[in-house]
Amino acid sequence: MTAFLARNLKRKLVTLFLVTVVSFLIIHLAPGEPAQVDPLNPKFTPEMVERFRRAFHLDRPLPIQYVLFYRDLFTGRSVSWKDNRPVLEKIGERFLNSLPLFAAGTLLTWTLAFPLGIHAAVRRGGFFDRGTAFFAYGFISLPGFFFAYLLILLVVNTLAVPVLGMETYGFEDAPVLYRLNDRLWHLLLPAGLGSATGIAVLSRYVRSQMLEVIHQDYVRTARAKGLPEETVLYKHALRNALLPFLTMFGLLLPGLVGGSVIIESIFSWPGLGRLAYEAILARDYPVILTLNFIAAVLVLLGTLLSDLLYAAADPRIRLE
Amino acid sequence: MGTRRILLGLPLAVSTLLLQSILWVPTYEEQTRGNPGRLEEFIQASIGDAAVLNPILSTDAASAEIEQLVFAGLLDRDEHLRLRGKLAESWSVREEAFFSVPAGEGQETEEAERVAALLRRCRAQPDGLPPEVRASLANIEEIAVEPPRRERREILGASGETLHLHLSIPPRLRLLLTRVDPDLFPRLEVVVGEGYFLRFRPETHLEAVPPLGVEEKRRIAEELLPPVEHNPVIEFRLRPGLTFHDGHPLTAEDVRFTWQAVMDPRNLSPRASDFEPVKEVRLPDPLTAVVVYKRLHAPALASWTLGILPRHRLDDNALQAEALASGKDPASFGIRHSRFNRQPVGGGPFVFREWKSDRHIRLERFAEYFEGPPEYRRFSFRVIPDLLTQEMEFYAGTIDAYAVQPHQAARLAGDPRFQHFSGTSFAYTYIGYNLRRPPFDDPRVRRALGLAVPVEQILEAVLYGQGERTSGPFPRQTPFYDPQVEPLPHDPEAAGRLLEEAGWRPGPDGLLEKDGRRLRFTLITNSGNDIRKSILTIVQDAWKRLGIEVRTDLVEWSVFIRERIHRLDFDAVVLGWSMGVEPDLYPIWHSSQTGPHQLNFVGYRHPEADALITRIRQEYDPDRQVALCRKLHARIAADQPVTFLYAGKWTAVLDRRIVIRERQGGEIHHRPIEATATGNYRYHFHRWVKLSERPLFTVQ
Repeated sequence: MTAFLARNLKRKLVTLFLVTVVSFLIIHLAPGEPAQVDPLNPKFTPEMVERFRRAFHLDRPLPIQYVLFYRDLFTGRSVSWKDNRPVLEKIGERFLNSLPLFAAGTLLTWTLAFPLGIHAAVRRGGFFDRGTAFFAYGFISLPGFFFAYLLILLVVNTLAVPVLGMETYGFEDAPVLYRLNDRLWHLLLPAGLGSATGIAVLSRYVRSQMLEVIHQDYVRTARAKGLPEETVLYKHALRNALLPFLTMFGLLLPGLVGGSVIIESIFSWPGLGRLAYEAILARDYPVILTLNFIAAVLVLLGTLLSDLLYAAADPRIRLE
Repeated sequence: MGTRRILLGLPLAVSTLLLQSILWVPTYEEQTRGNPGRLEEFIQASIGDAAVLNPILSTDAASAEIEQLVFAGLLDRDEHLRLRGKLAESWSVREEAFFSVPAGEGQETEEAERVAALLRRCRAQPDGLPPEVRASLANIEEIAVEPPRRERREILGASGETLHLHLSIPPRLRLLLTRVDPDLFPRLEVVVGEGYFLRFRPETHLEAVPPLGVEEKRRIAEELLPPVEHNPVIEFRLRPGLTFHDGHPLTAEDVRFTWQAVMDPRNLSPRASDFEPVKEVRLPDPLTAVVVYKRLHAPALASWTLGILPRHRLDDNALQAEALASGKDPASFGIRHSRFNRQPVGGGPFVFREWKSDRHIRLERFAEYFEGPPEYRRFSFRVIPDLLTQEMEFYAGTIDAYAVQPHQAARLAGDPRFQHFSGTSFAYTYIGYNLRRPPFDDPRVRRALGLAVPVEQILEAVLYGQGERTSGPFPRQTPFYDPQVEPLPHDPEAAGRLLEEAGWRPGPDGLLEKDGRRLRFTLITNSGNDIRKSILTIVQDAWKRLGIEVRTDLVEWSVFIRERIHRLDFDAVVLGWSMGVEPDLYPIWHSSQTGPHQLNFVGYRHPEADALITRIRQEYDPDRQVALCRKLHARIAADQPVTFLYAGKWTAVLDRRIVIRERQGGEIHHRPIEATATGNYRYHFHRWVKLSERPLFTVQ
């Protein structure tokens, strides 16, 4: 086990290093200047552009820029090129905003998808199965912003309550209970929308996995023993169908950073996804690269986590 | 069994928790009507958040919008876009002019005294002199001789070594002028003799260690000891009793500090080019700032609309203290790193209160504002990154203004709840030709290409009428734009004739050719701009009809700038310029700015235009500046270095309950919001109020 961890970590560190190199190169080889430099502004004399480039180390050779950037990142000194604020502070602030959205969405997805998928598998070809299939494919194939607009229009026009942002604007002086519920309300639509797509995808996986195990001998045995149907499905069948989901569960982590740019933009949610999107538009390299680095770390951690979970769940797998 | 219950019960519980919250949320109705405070708050929606709230650092429009409210400059623009005093009660412009006398060693003082006496005599008895020379002489207030002096300097040489310079500055004549006179020296030559000033040899007064080559020595000497020197002087008188929002008095010290902050290389201020010509800022008393310039630079005056920074918050002591308090290295800590940029303190009509990134910025009115506090108690800036959701919030009454799109404005056109404004923007779109390349070096070809472009059709079909034709390089609503200069008409036949005149005749396949070469080129623009893309197609079609082989290409913005524009590698481009009020065309149209990475990338060169552009930069008299600009406009329109297409229009929608409040004595009355002659509907913003009922104004 320890040997496995050591080996695995070593390999992951190499991967991480390669990721940092490649992402650094991609960003720096793509054309464009940081947003503070406007090449078509008559007020920017060439000397000033040069000074900006020097201040951002853009005049140094790429390997040195690389070292300088990651030195600043690890010592917590890198600042955003857009507003000179420390990158980690910006990311931390947005992370806390994104967290409730992520938590609520994930919770709804990873609970509801299972009963839905199992039910559809058991009643294969039935009305319920076809109905969920219809909605699932609808959510998968239609773009999220389309539903978002429909939903906002519907809610605003029928209930006449605000849905944008993390809280109702100008509601700061209300009693705590009101403000708490106000925040919950603002969470509902974006989290609901996010999880709807998640459920659509995940429940289809659950269904197909269940279909594979449901006709196995041990399921028949369980039924023959006279166990209640629920125990048969949720204990004997589901446990064996769960294995592939461990991989998916591991890949949940990077979703923390990627988030959902579109949902966050439409709902004016000041989250991490929007931060990343705006950083890309402004060519704010430190923010982009830091987020990229964090995402890479989370992906690697996620895979490690799913490896470990496999070992725990499947007695046939030994980590050596 | 447990698992199923958990899998169903948990989401159910969470959903219930989330759903019940609807009962606690205020409706739009409660937010707007049941809340009297809402009427006193103006909420502006914006697509993007501000970046830095510091007028010497910011480059984005969102930050500028907030800074305008939080900070105040010495000057401001009035309804007709003329400069007027803001923090400055008044200002005056005069000049100190210097020249060195050409004379042999040891005779300089004598010669200087002689010329001074000559000038004094001519000023006293100007009979027989031409009238313009008399005017220039009458403008001289005082003539003095500055004694010779020696100076040592160290500068960096061309190859990076340190040069020790010994200057023996000869006696110079100092002339105090009551107003700036760019023609002073040519006119004085009538008195002192033709070519007098050029006879002074600066290099004879310079010793360098190590010695320099002849050319370099002359260059350095000319720079350090120019034979003649104009030093325009602007004297600002500040209003007494001004304070910053924190109660600290705002004085001339802060004015000087703002200039120093802009020029401090550590701050990397994007405004540095505006303030580079400032030589020094003298402070004779706390309410007077005397700004002395190194050379004639008329746009300098307008640069004082820049918001004044509080010295006591940002000087070295304050920054040191802040660096130490936040555990940062004081040596590398500058204004760019200060938390001031997120909690600004200025002298403008609104006090900064709160900034939540990507959510909102809140301002509150400044009760001690010298023009009287604004009528709105609060100004809020909400970040809503989606156009459609902005519109919905506007309908719901939770924002008062947003960047309304033309099609959205059209939707609201008939609604009695709203009032509409529209005007021409300070920008134009054009087709630029690379004048270095044939066939664009021939003005007839450029004119023919312009004549063939159906601009009216572009306005109609692409812009839905949201644009106006323009014929020259100045914004249409400024006085610098000459309405007498007509835009090119759409006349393909005349275009054909012109091309024939230029030697382009149809070949066997009907395409134009000259000396066996086809008339063919590529028209490019940046991708991501649908309007420009449509223009590309329309223009390509119009030119094809003339028999020109036009290819088109769309290039991603940064590649477009870096590989094509900066490297001057293009035939023709569709692009736009957005401009300020100031009529300084030097970077965009002067022949010295035609190199790679410079902005006159079309390569326009014309000696008359150059002279006018330089002269406009030196002209401090607004009326004469207008006359010069109109001449320049006509010159550029005649040359057609680019085809001027149109200036876009902006639209704005406001609740009709927002009106202007007039207070006269103790009486209050209201009148509807009107745009100024130059199209600025927000000009009277500080007097806006929102009434609880829609007012009825009688038509007058």
